[in-house]
Amino acid sequence: MDFAAITAEAARRWDSLTEGETPWIRVGAALCGKAAGCDDVIDALRSSLERRGLPGQVSEVGCLGLCFAEPLVDVKLPGGTRVFYGNVTPETADEIIAAHLGQDSPPAHLALGTLGPTSVAGIPDLSQHPMKARETRIALRNAGDIDPGDIYQYIANGGYRALEKSLTQLTPQEMLEQVNASGLRGRGGAAFPAGTKWNFLAGSNAPEKYILCNCEEGDPGAFNDKGILESDPHTVVEGIILAGYATGASHGYIFVRYGHDGPIDRARAAVRQAYELGLLGENILDSGFSFDLEVALTGDSYVSGEETALMEAIEGKRSMPRYRPPFPAQVGVFGKPTNINNVKTLAYVPEIVARGGEWFAGIGHDRSTGTAILCLTGALNYTGMVEVPMGLTLGEVLYEVAGGVTGGKALKLVQTGGPLGGVLGAENVDLVLDFEVFREAGAILGSGGIIAADEDTCIVDLTRALIAFCQYESCGKCFPCRMGMSHLLEVLERICRLEGVPGDLDLMRSIGLNMQAGSLCGHGQLGFNPVSSAIKYFGPEFEAHILDHRCPTGACANPRFSPSLTRR
Amino acid sequence: MPDDINITIDGVDVKTQPGKMVLEAAIEAGIYVPYLCYHSGMKPFAACRMCVVAVEGGRGYPASCTLPVQDGMKIRSESQDVTELRRSVMQMLIAEHPNGCLTCHRIDICGPSDVCLRHVSVNDRCITCPKNERCEFKDTVRYLGMELESPLNYEYRQIPLEVSDPFYDRDYNLCITCGRCVRVCEEVRGDAAICFTERSGRALVGTSFGTSLLESGCEFCGACIDVCPVGALVERNHKWEKPRSVEPTICPHCPVGCQLNLEFNGSGAMIRAVPEFNSPANHGQACFKGKFGLEFLNDSRRLTQPMIRRNGELQPADWEEALDLISARLEDTPADSFALLASPNSTNEELYLAQKFARVVMNTNNVGQTSDVQPQLTVGLERSLGYAAATNSLWELERSGCILVFNSNLTEEQNVVGVPIKKAARRGASLIVIDPREVELTRYAGLWLRPTPGTELLLLGGILKALLAQNLERQEWIERHGEVSATLRYALDSLDMDEVSVATNVSRFSIEEAAQAFGQADTSAIVYAQDNVPEELQDDCVQALVNLAFLTGNLGKPGAGLFPLRPGANEQGAYDVGCAPHRLPGNRRFRNREARQSLESVWECSLPETAGLSLAQTIQAAADGRLKSMLIVGDSPNFTNGRLGDALTALGSLDFLVVHDTFPGPLTDLADVVLPRSTFAEKDGTWTNLERRIQRLQPVGKKAPDGPRSELWLLAELAHRRGAAGFDHASPAAVMDEIAAVSPIYAGVSYDRLEAQSVTVFRSGLDSPQPTQLLYSGQERRGIQWPCPPDGPASTPILYVDEFPGGQANPITPQFRAPETQADPDFPDLLAPGRVLLQLDQETRVHKGRVNRIEREELLRMNPAYAAGRGIADGDLVEAQTKDGVHLGQARLDDSVPPGMISITGIFGQLAVDLQASPEPDPMSHAPALDILPARVAKVEAATPAD
Repeated sequence: MDFAAITAEAARRWDSLTEGETPWIRVGAALCGKAAGCDDVIDALRSSLERRGLPGQVSEVGCLGLCFAEPLVDVKLPGGTRVFYGNVTPETADEIIAAHLGQDSPPAHLALGTLGPTSVAGIPDLSQHPMKARETRIALRNAGDIDPGDIYQYIANGGYRALEKSLTQLTPQEMLEQVNASGLRGRGGAAFPAGTKWNFLAGSNAPEKYILCNCEEGDPGAFNDKGILESDPHTVVEGIILAGYATGASHGYIFVRYGHDGPIDRARAAVRQAYELGLLGENILDSGFSFDLEVALTGDSYVSGEETALMEAIEGKRSMPRYRPPFPAQVGVFGKPTNINNVKTLAYVPEIVARGGEWFAGIGHDRSTGTAILCLTGALNYTGMVEVPMGLTLGEVLYEVAGGVTGGKALKLVQTGGPLGGVLGAENVDLVLDFEVFREAGAILGSGGIIAADEDTCIVDLTRALIAFCQYESCGKCFPCRMGMSHLLEVLERICRLEGVPGDLDLMRSIGLNMQAGSLCGHGQLGFNPVSSAIKYFGPEFEAHILDHRCPTGACANPRFSPSLTRR
Repeated sequence: MPDDINITIDGVDVKTQPGKMVLEAAIEAGIYVPYLCYHSGMKPFAACRMCVVAVEGGRGYPASCTLPVQDGMKIRSESQDVTELRRSVMQMLIAEHPNGCLTCHRIDICGPSDVCLRHVSVNDRCITCPKNERCEFKDTVRYLGMELESPLNYEYRQIPLEVSDPFYDRDYNLCITCGRCVRVCEEVRGDAAICFTERSGRALVGTSFGTSLLESGCEFCGACIDVCPVGALVERNHKWEKPRSVEPTICPHCPVGCQLNLEFNGSGAMIRAVPEFNSPANHGQACFKGKFGLEFLNDSRRLTQPMIRRNGELQPADWEEALDLISARLEDTPADSFALLASPNSTNEELYLAQKFARVVMNTNNVGQTSDVQPQLTVGLERSLGYAAATNSLWELERSGCILVFNSNLTEEQNVVGVPIKKAARRGASLIVIDPREVELTRYAGLWLRPTPGTELLLLGGILKALLAQNLERQEWIERHGEVSATLRYALDSLDMDEVSVATNVSRFSIEEAAQAFGQADTSAIVYAQDNVPEELQDDCVQALVNLAFLTGNLGKPGAGLFPLRPGANEQGAYDVGCAPHRLPGNRRFRNREARQSLESVWECSLPETAGLSLAQTIQAAADGRLKSMLIVGDSPNFTNGRLGDALTALGSLDFLVVHDTFPGPLTDLADVVLPRSTFAEKDGTWTNLERRIQRLQPVGKKAPDGPRSELWLLAELAHRRGAAGFDHASPAAVMDEIAAVSPIYAGVSYDRLEAQSVTVFRSGLDSPQPTQLLYSGQERRGIQWPCPPDGPASTPILYVDEFPGGQANPITPQFRAPETQADPDFPDLLAPGRVLLQLDQETRVHKGRVNRIEREELLRMNPAYAAGRGIADGDLVEAQTKDGVHLGQARLDDSVPPGMISITGIFGQLAVDLQASPEPDPMSHAPALDILPARVAKVEAATPAD
């Protein structure tokens, strides 16, 4: 089948779903949906349809981003508009079927909003919802709209056009120019320009080169990599193939943390389907370009997300970081030149290629082009995954997009970019989303996780929890991190028990700074951030614990310590 | 060599080469930068961060072990900030490592033999650590000049000790997780028997799943102990003893010739063996035999006095009396009724005198040594190529593209040969193993060809034929160095590949694959023994292998060549100096007229005309009564393992048997005169290893006891008593001078020249901490690889680089055939025992206790069709009866086993347990070999269980 035939087939299938005779019911079935109980809702929807003898096609789709409203059901009658129902239960599911499908009168009291050209009386327009209003969807363009298990739905929505365009019209060099022009920077945390990284690999004339897609994503409070991979796996697959074409690589791996079955299964299915349609494998679309892609897993280890540790894991070894130089672009996985990008970075690539680098560079703020894909969690009214242009302020994100702090309480701090990113005091709400701005403020925009904490949170207890995570996840290779994390945790636990002694802050500083200077990889080098940033913003609260043996918020009265791997 | 570049370290100019790391450059320049996880023998690991430095104009504190040098680089290593960083890491380390040895306030007052006054809790006392005062870690702490007051809490980790495995103890409370042991096991030894466990603050070293070493694939080579910077890994014997002196020697257990540094305690007992780091023969490696098999040097059961049998009982005598008696009895012995068997660990000088004594004094060619059960091993090399020895150097195998291992259990018998082979295989070289038995290297082999025992020669024929069929012969090279003989083409033409495949039970595809792998690689090497090849086919097998190397042009270049593997430490030397019945010094045939004439003129004698008896013939002749008297030096497993038949009975029937040995044993029980023999550690002389490397052996340890004497002394005394001239050498060096004069391959060898090959290796001063192995390594003693003519190169690592001694190579065409065997009707089957380090498909249960014990069900693997013919089904209880015993186990049907063969694979851990528990003074020299034996297999009807 040539590509024209594939797109025709995809369009035919898509039209029959959206414009056909049968109502189409889409249920959010990403991790957020599953956790909220979408499986029961799907069963209820199906049995309700059957019991009532109503026609209807129920599909699982990915995450629309409104995770707080899961299970999220969206019903589209033939010729009608999409109506979304939030927090659906098996009981309300039946009600929705009965009213919306049975009587063509959508139950407004259950509905969250509509999306589409026409509106429904009494139901607001979902695109005006705070979480949707500021969005610019590039990487998330299909999330929540299409069935991630069906390659044709992706193709019907413009998928693999960029691949076809590159293979037929662009030279690898031209592709690299597009990516360079887009100003795309790595979304894994370091914000390194993707084009520059690709140039390194393209410059190597080794016969075998690798593209790795990093979906380890171990940060607590980060779920956008997995969200993209399970909501729209093909945009990642297409991005990887494009990266392979641009850099002359012939092999790729999507690396997912073991245990995340949704993203793993969907990524595997996507790879299989792409092979079946000739979009992967030998001689892709008769272009002469060949590329192989595989999904690799590791054990339960945060450090596996570090690029060289990830390579060790793919090679089947214990995942511990390697030293550099040599850098991955010279000696990477299996000793071959390798490029490694985050899921989000690669997910942008098809749109960048399709629309041109200039278009992407036009979005965003200063040198931080494009969008920020944020995971909003913690004490916020609207939690979920949003894609907003770079340049919004933190306050706009927290108070507008996320609807403010729950219970009307005051914001105490935000924790961004994973545990190693440290905390930001509430006075920083005017920071704009921009890699440099965040870096100057001593935080990391990083992978886009934003956890908000309200005034009831004890900073010492939170810091202890963050260090307990960092300590538990240290791989144990380099000495400063292996032992330093344990000692930091020991001191923080002591302070939490209100048994801290004067000098503990200095002790932590000396351990932490040496860890920062002496560690092999980012885990140890950044591992002191949670403590140093907490002391910076909330020094007096630490002193109250240590000197007055008092926890101002009262949270440390009954500390619950999370598991840790200390010497004891 | 790339151009030198210059860097400075703390203002000192250092010349180095691009590609090096800063730490490497510093060590070579004699500048000490502290380190714990780095070890010169391995790739850097960058974990301990002790070697951090600051670079002028650079950011942060990179680890110097992984910092590539750049021209003009300015390094700060001893500045305040760098030292602070190192101390902070060290402070955390000593907060988890027992540290009484550093912090006890009595360390300056306590003397070495003071009783501990118990100021420190028992686990943390200096005397509780086996490495106290020989600890690299402690030295490094001291070097950093730390304040030992720490705000960090110390707590003993309370990890249970592992003391139930053979040979060594593990105390992970002392471990600092530097990973050297894990890396040496995987990167250098290719075993990966140990690994990192847990992570974070609990990260440690152990075995996967916490098993004992017996079931983890450990080969007990001790490499991990040698690199351990703390007391976590130590030898169990003499665990707490500290060395008073360290002296270099060579391991007597096999022909690799590993250089070892022996530690001796104050009373002169040998307490530990540490392989020499800068040794060209072993590259800092040893094996279970070298590492744990030298305890016999301390054994009190040694023979110390000559004994003469009187009235059926051995009674003490003095040397004069014994020598006079021997001399008188030999006087009466007719020339060809006497035989002399030297030991494979006698020195070259002793072996030379032994053959000279036999030939000149006793006028017989009946001379040899006791491990020579494969006399055909190198004959083919000499006839076809020129020299009867390995063509290349051992460690070139690391870089070979393809290695063919033929019929050898080398990982046990010449263990260190396996190290470069495993390394090559892990790097991606093709490893082809031809062996009916399952041995350790079959686990590493990309291609394991498992012929029906006895059809090895046919299989080699098949490979040669496939090689020519695929046009893989190197035409151009062959034309320059010889030709493919018409007889070879004819012999191969008449081989039918399908018949070969049926006879050998190796598929045609595999044969062709082997030919392709061997023929296509840039460099292919052949490592071979003849463990189970029938004697009548041995020479032809060697010729076939020579043809294989010749056709593919794998001679005279690095990484190629042929390596014959003999068992004895100095068997190569024995042949070189003529201690063999058919060989004169220089490994020349005894009928070689030119050789005879020159020897007769030097020795002033006429040489015996009759051919000498081989080892097997000697024993046969003793049994037949054709031999009257014998002089045997040293014990050998061949007297008892059946390879020479019932040798003890045969020797018992001699009129007069003199045994010169170190310990009493079955042989001394038969002797008429027993003479106490010096050990290798008391001798001065040379050994020649399997790569033709002549290495100097010097007396080490305490002064030799008064009674025992060397063969050198004994033979000279006997010759003197018989009035023979030419045995009054002033020293072993003088004997070597005579060898060099009469033996062309040793021309140019002298002790002075050997001495000149020894170079001083730079090492930082003894006051700076460093791995024990490096501390002990002051000299690189390269030895001489013969030939080294006086006017030529000082050493020849590779033979035939330019041309062959005869101008061209002259490979001889073997007669490809199956052996003419008459199966013993009582034992129609063959039992092929194997042994591997790790077997994944057979459950091994280890009972942990004071001594770990292996329990496993025996599996008897056999060919499905063959089993069906005998009514045996998979899982049946079967027994294989041999002459010596019975093996009972479960039948397992396996296509890879040739019909008529039963394969049993044991596990090395069991051997290690047995060797450790053996009451023998020198159990390592008797480690059981894997001989294929006639057997009879039958199904056992299981008794119905009583209800």
